[in-house]
Amino acid sequence: MTPELDRRRFLQLAGATALIAACGGAPAATASTAPKATGRISIYSALNETTNNQLFAAFTKATGVEVSALPLAAAGDLQTKITAEKNNPQADIFVGGSSEFHDPLGKQGLLEAYQSPNAKDVQAQFKEASGLWTGWYTGIFGFISNTSRLNADIGGKKPATWDDLLDPVWKQRLILPDPIKTGGGYIFIATQIFRFGKDETKAMDFMKKLHPNILSYGPTSPGVITSITNGEAAGAPNWSHDILTEKAKDPTRIDLTVPTDTGFEVGAVSIVKGTKNPLGAQAFVDWVLTKEAGDLNTKLSNRGSVRTDVAPAPGAPTLTSVKLVNYDRQWATDNKTRIQKLWQAAVGL
Amino acid sequence: MSPETAHVRVSHVTKRFGGVTAVDDVSFEVPKGSFATLLGPSGCGKTTTLRMIAGFYDPDEGDIEIAGRRVNELPVHRRGTAMVFQDYALFPHMTVRDNVAYGLKVAHVSGADRTRRVDETLAFVGLGGLGDRWPNQLSGGQQQRVAVARALVIQPQVLLLDEPLSNLDAKLREQLRVEMRVLQRRLGMTFVYVTHDQEEALSLSDWIAVMNAGKVEQAGAPWEIYYRPRTAFLADFVGSVNLVPAKVLDVTDDSVTIAFGSQHASVQRPKDVTLAAGQEVKLCLRPESFTIGSSAAKGVEHGIDLSGTIVRRAFLGDTMRYWVKVEDREWIVDQPDPGGSATLDGPVSLSLRPDRVHVIAE
Amino acid sequence: MRSLQREPALLLALLAVTALVLLFVVYPQLQVVLTPGPGGYVQFLEEGTWVGPLRNSIQLTLLSTTTAVVLGFVYAYAMVYSNMRWKPFFRLVGILPLLSPPFVVAAAYTLLFGARGVITYGVFGQSPNIYGLNGVWGVQTIAFFPFAYQLIADALSRSDPRMEQAAHNLGAGSWRVFRTVTLPLSRPGLGAAILTTAIYILEDFGNPQLIGGTFYVLPTQAYSLISSFGEYTSAAALSTILLLLALGLYLAKVRLDGGRSFVTISGRASSMPRPPVSAGVSRACFVACLALAGIILLVYGSLVVSALTLRFPNNLQFTTEHFQYVLSGTNGDALRNTLVFSSVAAAVSAVFALFAGWLVQRGHWKGRQALDLLLILPAAIPGIFFGLGYLLAFNQRWLDFVDRGWLIIIAFIFWNIPVGYQAAVAGLRQIDRSIDEAATSLGASSLRGFRDVVLPMLGGSLRVGFVTTFVRAVTTLSLVIFLFTPPTTVATIRIYQLVGDLNWGAATAYTVSDIGMAIIALLIFAVLARGRIALGAARA
Repeated sequence: MTPELDRRRFLQLAGATALIAACGGAPAATASTAPKATGRISIYSALNETTNNQLFAAFTKATGVEVSALPLAAAGDLQTKITAEKNNPQADIFVGGSSEFHDPLGKQGLLEAYQSPNAKDVQAQFKEASGLWTGWYTGIFGFISNTSRLNADIGGKKPATWDDLLDPVWKQRLILPDPIKTGGGYIFIATQIFRFGKDETKAMDFMKKLHPNILSYGPTSPGVITSITNGEAAGAPNWSHDILTEKAKDPTRIDLTVPTDTGFEVGAVSIVKGTKNPLGAQAFVDWVLTKEAGDLNTKLSNRGSVRTDVAPAPGAPTLTSVKLVNYDRQWATDNKTRIQKLWQAAVGL
Repeated sequence: MSPETAHVRVSHVTKRFGGVTAVDDVSFEVPKGSFATLLGPSGCGKTTTLRMIAGFYDPDEGDIEIAGRRVNELPVHRRGTAMVFQDYALFPHMTVRDNVAYGLKVAHVSGADRTRRVDETLAFVGLGGLGDRWPNQLSGGQQQRVAVARALVIQPQVLLLDEPLSNLDAKLREQLRVEMRVLQRRLGMTFVYVTHDQEEALSLSDWIAVMNAGKVEQAGAPWEIYYRPRTAFLADFVGSVNLVPAKVLDVTDDSVTIAFGSQHASVQRPKDVTLAAGQEVKLCLRPESFTIGSSAAKGVEHGIDLSGTIVRRAFLGDTMRYWVKVEDREWIVDQPDPGGSATLDGPVSLSLRPDRVHVIAE
Repeated sequence: MRSLQREPALLLALLAVTALVLLFVVYPQLQVVLTPGPGGYVQFLEEGTWVGPLRNSIQLTLLSTTTAVVLGFVYAYAMVYSNMRWKPFFRLVGILPLLSPPFVVAAAYTLLFGARGVITYGVFGQSPNIYGLNGVWGVQTIAFFPFAYQLIADALSRSDPRMEQAAHNLGAGSWRVFRTVTLPLSRPGLGAAILTTAIYILEDFGNPQLIGGTFYVLPTQAYSLISSFGEYTSAAALSTILLLLALGLYLAKVRLDGGRSFVTISGRASSMPRPPVSAGVSRACFVACLALAGIILLVYGSLVVSALTLRFPNNLQFTTEHFQYVLSGTNGDALRNTLVFSSVAAAVSAVFALFAGWLVQRGHWKGRQALDLLLILPAAIPGIFFGLGYLLAFNQRWLDFVDRGWLIIIAFIFWNIPVGYQAAVAGLRQIDRSIDEAATSLGASSLRGFRDVVLPMLGGSLRVGFVTTFVRAVTTLSLVIFLFTPPTTVATIRIYQLVGDLNWGAATAYTVSDIGMAIIALLIFAVLARGRIALGAARA
């Protein structure tokens, strides 16, 4: 699906939903007599610290439900923890981290399906059909460049396409998040495969040609950003929202570009099966899908929202402003190990 | 020996380590209040036996009784024994006083009582006033005495000593030997002592068991072992000896006539030994039982008289030791109190009393 | 065996120790090992992604262990034998690398010695590629030599000066004495040091993760599988491979050990001093240690600078805002949790390890070798799997009443037993059995003898166990990732969260606070222990 199609489709859905909502007055009527959410919920969050603090505070203020947050930056850790705790679930909510981490939990029956009324407006590709998880923010893959090094070594030319990075002028001046160690690095490779229409040979050829230009493969995606800020290399592919956050600290030092045909992630929220406070959990899902939450998240982390009425962060790409590849998430997950091996063989590691 | 007087009884005890039989069907009894010694060359099983009495090893077969009580199933700390180790095994992190007091502390002997007994024992072994020293500030002899004091103070039924003097110099060893004997006599405590030094064994013990290759070769009073060894090994191990091959000519109830070389004599018949005419035996002749004199001066005649030639000599201080060639054998002959200048040389005459001849039939 | 039957208290103690080890080491790990199931294992093995990392792990372990042990030995020799100055200073520096909360310290190495490193680029104008085998080899050498140093120093301090004097007396020069007498007699300590260091290097993930570049090793692969991709089944299969490797190392050590005696402490005390070490050697030791200390201080110093500047190394403006942030609010709670959990765990672990070491080393009972292996095994389990195992095993409804803090403490205890245990075993091999026997001969039961005689004599081993457990507990992240809850958050988790926030200033401030607190605690302990635990006081 191209962004243009998405938009049209979305509007159709929105219109349809509004119609149905108008017809079916009963749900609206029962909202006021539905039991109120109270108490406390335990949230496993892959969002960063500042976002957690403010987001959850806002949620508590809006609903009265207290939050006990267990933050771990790596969504994979949270996914594993939830899986390991299945005999005695400790979490009510799993928020943050792209849907690749929520989906397997859903398939293993570790999540509770919930169709939030606020999810009606969310595109089908951004949520799980039965409501096991719902996407609420997006992250688009971009490119960070160190301004002074870009000017000095690359002649100030930012890459418009990923192929631009094959230019010999970039030799040993790129850093890529490690595709074995980081999700971001793997998404980069997957993006190339989808860019070439799932032609793995062409994609691997690209990665092979790119390899001599890569100074080092960074162990963490955020760490790569810091490396570029410090001038270790001239540029690196990375998450746009993180790049914008870094840029805000010192706008002249680094900059963001988004090459065409890039990948993206969908950040999700889900309710853990066996939750002791289903109402509270549902209240959270409902709230996180509101405009208020979306605005707040965008302000704090520069991420985009799945809601069209949430303005993007200044300078941030949106799903419609850039050309995205047709990212087949399921395929990417299923073939990860094989693709990683292909990549290692291609670059001789 | 009746059960009441046997303080330590070892009955048919065997111990194997892997494929090696260290102690092979050993039995003996130690009377109460006696100084008993297990004597033998290294590897004979004496230390293993001692450690089985202590409880550090379990016998594979056999029983061990202390004061009439079977102790096989008792752990080390409940047997009523105390051990003095070859290396003293003093606790390096405790003072002398604390070392000695340790056993009393474990036995819940209270402060004042404990102090008194420790002080008494330290004085007893001649270490009064050294209570606050650390083990590494003491000489070897002093450390050994601490080890003894530490074991004595708890008044064990049996004191076990594993070659406690072997690390000391000769003079100190001799001195402590005497002290140990006096100590044991005074306390009337049963001592079981292990050593490879036969002189030590002879001088200290009321009773000796000589072991070889895991077995007890002979057990009994020191003079019995010395003068009436039952095997050639024993004769040679304890003291010096001339083992002379001889032939039995005639046997009566209490005497036996033997012939060796051109000599023959009638000597005491050893107890519990079957002898028959024509049997080959060995004669056990101790070097000090000869009288030696130059051939020219015909001296005392005791009964068995030989002549030989001096091959070499060694001055041992209180004795002059001669190696005398008699017929085709070299005999060791000791001359006590040789004096300064007069030394024998060349042809000599040897004279031996028949009652000093001991017959060994193996 | 009969000796055990004769002392029921001893038998009971042995059963208790075994039961605890089975419950808190074997059972949780079994959960992890069984996770993939036969099908999972087959699939994982067929995929073959483990082959490269396995090879790399072996290579890296061999290299790093060798240099770390050599370095540790030099350091130990310098501290115990030579007459170099500033020993207390070097003692502290020798422990510092153990205090390495994840990410931050490894990152400091890159900041200093990387392509744009402050030292390498700023001072020397070089741009070395620190990522890869060479970089991680260098960092691991420095990070792990303290294990070797502590274990070897402990063993060396127990060597008998008389043997060395005897050799000296027979005409051997210092080097010869060292080579032919000191070195062979410290073999138990050396063996323990090599094995422990090797196993810890094998399971080290922090340094290879950050500095290894594309030199993938088993722990980094396992960690990435979990954190970046949520594939913990494959990760569990990897951890089993790690376990098997460690088992191999252990068996190699047992084979090499032989059954020889290394007794250097017999009951025969001696006040003989060591043969003198030449001034030249002492000076050389001093220089070597100083160089090493220099590198270490540079790394940790950069952390302090980072914590006190706005954005090191770009913006060097002085600020206290990072520390203010760190010491405010709930952040202080995490520091307190760390201190409490780690201290309790260290005390218990040290004694337990010593006791277990005594049971195994002095015992004559069947199955002794198995228990020996089980007590060393935790060293081979990367923290993340140890914690995961605990979660799988103990996150049961009926255990909800147990405070999670206790679970973390227990995890700390058992995960860190190997070092204290190894130190105890090595120490016991140097103490003549007759000393234990003397105690029992005087009427003390075996347990009593342990308490009165063995425990005081092994003060050194106890110290090694305590210090190591404490510092590892204070700085481990992977172990607590799955076990912590908001009220039981520890310092390393906070650091992790701050790093994820790209808040380097606060992260380093937190790290500095964490390390500072640990050092103060260690100093207090050192002062407290000085009076109580003597090791042959007069000998010291």
